[in-house]
Amino acid sequence: MMLIRFTNRSRKSVEAAFEEARMLGHDSVGDEDLLLGILRAGEGVAAEALSSLGITLEEAREESEEMLSDALSSIGISLEEIRREAGDAFEMRMPQGRRLPLSPRAKNALVGARKEMRGLQDDYLGTEHVLLGILSNEDGTAVRMLAGMGVSPEALEDRLFELRGRAAG
Amino acid sequence: MDEKTRAQVGGPRDPREGLEAVVALRRTLEALEAAQVENAIIAGWSWARIAEVLGVSKQAVHKKHAGRIRDKYPGEPPRRRGT
Repeated sequence: MMLIRFTNRSRKSVEAAFEEARMLGHDSVGDEDLLLGILRAGEGVAAEALSSLGITLEEAREESEEMLSDALSSIGISLEEIRREAGDAFEMRMPQGRRLPLSPRAKNALVGARKEMRGLQDDYLGTEHVLLGILSNEDGTAVRMLAGMGVSPEALEDRLFELRGRAAG
Repeated sequence: MDEKTRAQVGGPRDPREGLEAVVALRRTLEALEAAQVENAIIAGWSWARIAEVLGVSKQAVHKKHAGRIRDKYPGEPPRRRGT
């Protein structure tokens, strides 16, 4: 993967996204995993903006599981019952050996991040650009996940630029 | 597809919802298979017997699950006491 001009923090957040995706049993790294990665890495303007709006990694993981559970419910399947039936051995985690690709939406988010960097005339690609790239897909899973936690892309962008005025990264 | 056609052929109101259910089911299926194979091993089942019930070759089921289960239970092969 090409992470040209990425700062240490934004690079870490992308690496953390792969870990989150694996933990949640995703067979690719989605745009929602990039968001979770920012929270997991926990550093930089993007993580600060998210936490200042009350979004924690734990809450975001729960929201992600709720979306999975809702999707299963829509076809008449209860995640709770599966858990009960399969017992403690049931966990969504992907085995370590398997390499996860970036999903098309996640790729778009990273392409979007680069556009944001250029648009803002920055010479580094920080976590704020990654987050803006994620938010640029209004139909994406991450944006819907945020909506589920009561945060609109607009509110998040506003907070991001507020914080960016003070620090970069 | 209009409402009438949809009512005739069935299916979700929103195609995205239908497709997302597929993704959710696939993830859940993988996790469920992993869990039930692990449960079978703990219950003392052989790889051959597990493979037979799953309807796949012993090699296939071993290749897919043995490493993960070995990593989870280092040392002794897991056995449920009293079975």
